[in-house]
Amino acid sequence: MAALRDYLDDHFTVRDPEYRPSTEIDDAEKESLKERIGGVENYEIPTLRRMVAQHPENAEFRKALVSGIVSAEYAGIDAFGTRVGLWEDYDLPADLLMTMIRQEWDEVRHAQLGTQLLESYGGEFGEYPDTLGGANREQDAEGRPVRGPIATDPTVSLSVVNVQIEGGALELFAGVSKLGAKIDDDLMEFVYDYNWADEVVHVQIGDYFVNKIVEETPEEERKALMAQAQVELFTSAQRQISPAAEVMAFMQEEAERARTVLADE
Amino acid sequence: MTYRIVLETCFNCGLCRRVCPTEAIKYYTTGSRTHIIDEEWCVDCDLCAKICPVACIASHPAVQPAAAQLELARAKARGFAKKQRADLQAVDARIEAFVATTPAGDERRIDD
Repeated sequence: MAALRDYLDDHFTVRDPEYRPSTEIDDAEKESLKERIGGVENYEIPTLRRMVAQHPENAEFRKALVSGIVSAEYAGIDAFGTRVGLWEDYDLPADLLMTMIRQEWDEVRHAQLGTQLLESYGGEFGEYPDTLGGANREQDAEGRPVRGPIATDPTVSLSVVNVQIEGGALELFAGVSKLGAKIDDDLMEFVYDYNWADEVVHVQIGDYFVNKIVEETPEEERKALMAQAQVELFTSAQRQISPAAEVMAFMQEEAERARTVLADE
Repeated sequence: MTYRIVLETCFNCGLCRRVCPTEAIKYYTTGSRTHIIDEEWCVDCDLCAKICPVACIASHPAVQPAAAQLELARAKARGFAKKQRADLQAVDARIEAFVATTPAGDERRIDD
């Protein structure tokens, strides 16, 4: 009994407007970003927050900031929705799947709130590209979707998406809500305060279920930490900042452990 | 003075770890998938307690690192703050360079 899983094995995610990651936009769109916000290099959330804070009178900056955030909410709808089906075959606590469904609807609400906030500035969803990669388009030889462990493996997914990424989003939402208050944008303040509260629950869900899954399974616990550390390294590289020394130490420890295991075999 | 995390309440969001100017908060290497403050490196800046969404970080005035160690930690924090300021200045310069090219009173501006 895996009807949803079977369906997902054969179908890619679709969205209207289509996913358009900022890393894959064409020259014409790069030029348009240059004209509106100074270039594609400014189309990342921390920079856009700074731009709005310093130039609150510029509606384009607000549109770009909210577009960037809301595009990730749409990707969240895909992420949590597909997990409900992809995890059907795992022996998981039933309440874990229920929480995925709950989060699915939270993301829908966040996307709706963000879209309406964007429209209040005269913007439209889709006029800016996606800040996250968007739906996975990798396919196998038969043209069917290939999904990585971040989608298919509950330990990796909860650790990376719920704990690491949504943990980071807590600061984002709290910060943008405060930014709204600072620039007298009530709607921005309340939308992101609302989202923040949901995000606290999402991280709690992730942490709670990672702990349940890895209970008495050191291998799974290491897998959870390793997946999280890899995302942390990737994010640091993307933002051109040095990763925390502890992350590097952990990766070295893991490499050493893997070498020992291989040598023993 | 140092800070401690109440592990029963902490849900590992990692915000405290990310703002700590001395990287005193450990997670990956604690061996128990929990956030723990290395008291030797705490400079009592209060950033972790302020950012914690569930208020599970509290100060412990009785714990006092040795003076030499505290000075080391403070130097590390100063370096962190300096780097953050430099990064922000670079971003600000980029923003201002662009804004200077935007005509005043342009239709994209609001609240004018």
